[in-house]
Amino acid sequence: MPVVKLKKYRSIANRSLQNVLSYRFSYVVTFLSNAINLLAVYFLWAGIYGGRETVGGYTWDQMKTYLLVTFLANSVLSWYSETAISGKILDGSVAVDLLKPIDFQTARFSETLGTSLLEGGISTIILVIFSFFISGLALPHSALVYVLFALSLLGAIAVKFGVVYLAALLCFWSTGSMGIVWTRIALTNLLSGALVPLAFFPGWLERTALLLPFQSIIHTPTMIFLEQAGTLESLKLIGIQCFWGAALWIAGKFMWNWAVRQVTIHGG
Amino acid sequence: MTLSRMFYLYKRLYIQQLKAILEYNKDFYILMCSAALTQVLGFVFLWVIYDRIPDINGWQFWEVTFMYAMIFLTEGMGSLFFEGTWRLGRLVNQGELDRYLLRPVPVVLQVFCTGIGINGLGNLLIGGVIIWQSLVHSHIQWSFAKVVILILLLLTAVIIRVSINLAGNSAAFWIRNAGNAFPLMVHNLADLAKYPVTLFPQAVRVFISTVLPYAFISFYPATYIFGKSGWSGWWMLAPVVAAGSAAAAYGIFRYGLSKYESTGN
Repeated sequence: MPVVKLKKYRSIANRSLQNVLSYRFSYVVTFLSNAINLLAVYFLWAGIYGGRETVGGYTWDQMKTYLLVTFLANSVLSWYSETAISGKILDGSVAVDLLKPIDFQTARFSETLGTSLLEGGISTIILVIFSFFISGLALPHSALVYVLFALSLLGAIAVKFGVVYLAALLCFWSTGSMGIVWTRIALTNLLSGALVPLAFFPGWLERTALLLPFQSIIHTPTMIFLEQAGTLESLKLIGIQCFWGAALWIAGKFMWNWAVRQVTIHGG
Repeated sequence: MTLSRMFYLYKRLYIQQLKAILEYNKDFYILMCSAALTQVLGFVFLWVIYDRIPDINGWQFWEVTFMYAMIFLTEGMGSLFFEGTWRLGRLVNQGELDRYLLRPVPVVLQVFCTGIGINGLGNLLIGGVIIWQSLVHSHIQWSFAKVVILILLLLTAVIIRVSINLAGNSAAFWIRNAGNAFPLMVHNLADLAKYPVTLFPQAVRVFISTVLPYAFISFYPATYIFGKSGWSGWWMLAPVVAAGSAAAAYGIFRYGLSKYESTGN
């Protein structure tokens, strides 16, 4: 049975990949928006570093690398996942999913992985092109770091999915999604280190952020890629990602069981 | 149609929407708080950075927060009173615009009143507080003229913002079924104007001063208020830019409307 089961979810992942391909225009525009945002942030940081050697323990070369890694980690899991799950709950199509003999959470995760594959691939290509034009990037030299980095990106996907999924289930309780989505994005951006490295925070905020799951999404991959964490510490960080990924997954299961009892579907 | 008649109709249409939105009051609070929170977290970002360095490119903390808050404040005004522009895509794609065309009321007015973005209230509140704090913390020589000009600049900023929204959303007449992706991109370009334009290369500066004149919402007013030499006088173009963008946006909207063919269902 397990093989048959896996096949089911693989075909869901495949379907969502094709979905992105057929709505390329939206995807391209969203991607462009992100790229513009990256440029804005890049020039802002260039201004911040104007005439300064290091800020918050980061050199300008490290910061450039940090921004690119953040961009990659963010775009690996973006377009589909931000609103699609809550959308399903709000427009009532979750009712159909309830009838299907598949696990809702696993199915959504497969969909997310399907789109992540494509988005991650395209982002990587664009970043490689982009990096040719930027001098002095702090790229790691050992192959081990790249392997660990790839692992940490997978961990980041798992954790981010957990956060997105839990937030989406809240929509069973509210009637609109935008508020919840915005709050989630704002909190994730700040506490994951997407806006500014956690090392910039005042001590108490940094300590708090490190205790929360958000840091696994951006902070961990950047620490590994910038070689600010040794091999052992990198493995520990990936372990923390696994912990959060699993914890959020289980929390998602519990919350789903509670949430489906709240389901109110308007019309048909 | 006279201007007072327009205002009357706007008020009537707006109140109807308000009644609708008050029905879903849980959403109301969530949206308001989330908008406020987003803005506060952006403020925290600036605060964290300025905690490390004294200035960016010669700009002080409270000067940058002013620009930042102007972008959010105008966004809030746009959401609260002109949210309908964001519904244009749906109106066109689902053929709902037909209904508007039949009424003896300007179409653009009806579009404006298609919805209320209550999140604007959160933006307005936090944006207002940040602007107020920015003005208090910077040593400004106040005079009567300065207050009048500040109000004028606020007004032109809102006009520019709403015009760009309308123009961006008019893309729905040409791009079918694209969701809100294109107008959102136009909207996101405002991010560039949250910070001093002097940070950016010449091409970007020209772009956000002319094609999408977001700089006239935040940067040029800031140069006036904080008396930045080297930019003195540029703010005087703001009313011209506001009139220009309003006319251009209306033109684009009318042109798009002339291309409108209902979806036929």
